[in-house]
Amino acid sequence: MADLLSTAHYATIGLTVATGLLNERVRSMRRIFEEHGVNTVLRADFKPDSRTELLRLLRRFRNLYDVVAVRCVNQQVATVSCRDRRVDIVFFDVANRNLSFSHTFARLLRGAVEFNVVSDLLDQTDWWAFSRVHKAILVAREHHVKIILSSGARNYEMVRSPFQVSALAMTLGLTQEESIRGVSSTPLSIVRENRMKRAPEYVEQGVKIIIPSGQ
Amino acid sequence: MRAMARRYILVKIVCDRRVTNEEFHEALINSTKRYFGELGLSRIDPRIVKFDAESSTAIVSCEQPATSELESAVALTTRYAETPMSLLVLRVSGTVKGAARRWK
Repeated sequence: MADLLSTAHYATIGLTVATGLLNERVRSMRRIFEEHGVNTVLRADFKPDSRTELLRLLRRFRNLYDVVAVRCVNQQVATVSCRDRRVDIVFFDVANRNLSFSHTFARLLRGAVEFNVVSDLLDQTDWWAFSRVHKAILVAREHHVKIILSSGARNYEMVRSPFQVSALAMTLGLTQEESIRGVSSTPLSIVRENRMKRAPEYVEQGVKIIIPSGQ
Repeated sequence: MRAMARRYILVKIVCDRRVTNEEFHEALINSTKRYFGELGLSRIDPRIVKFDAESSTAIVSCEQPATSELESAVALTTRYAETPMSLLVLRVSGTVKGAARRWK
């Protein structure tokens, strides 16, 4: 998969790892990608069933990952994850007919909304999934929220190049500029911001230590 | 009347077995027809310009305004005759020469 990502001209990828995975295993996985010239960003995907579970997961794991994403499975989780600053990305399951990215969530959203355009639409036999993604993209555009486009690849067969991810989003209603931003600058800016926050000299937003005490 | 400009797309075929030109053509047309219909297919007008079975690479041309649609159709191709197959777009160019620059 790493060589395929390198062939597809990916510079950096978000590597979703399980929260219980050993550090050594994560390091060896990252090394494999880096050997092929692909940088990795550690990402955690949470799928909590309730607000309490989400808050517990955020308290425990937020500082360990570069990017934290939440799969919204119900209204309660979606509302909290859109509002919480610790959540970088929210995404909705296209197969979940009871919940989708709506105007309510777009108004609350502090992070970014992600569309897994490839994995959500691959092997879809009905028009319905396309329609849902299209509507969600229109809502996101209307509220000027940050949009992230991803292939959502779980295996090498699902890997698509950034050109294709961007083209799919264009077909579903984004402009060329927005779709390019969705695969390049927006995800990168989230990673940069989070890495800055995790640095020891960071105190809070707008405040960081420049000269350490004792010097 | 001036002919409409075309775009040339370099595509890498990822498949467990070697794919022939005919199979690739059929997979491409089927996928385009499936997601954009007959009318979309005529608007996109995909044509295989160059094909190399050895390196599993091809250059496909299409009408310039429908480039993103062809890229989408290529992205949503998952199999050909029960064999898993995915297609990666490596480069989009206005000339065959430009697209072939990344040809391996």
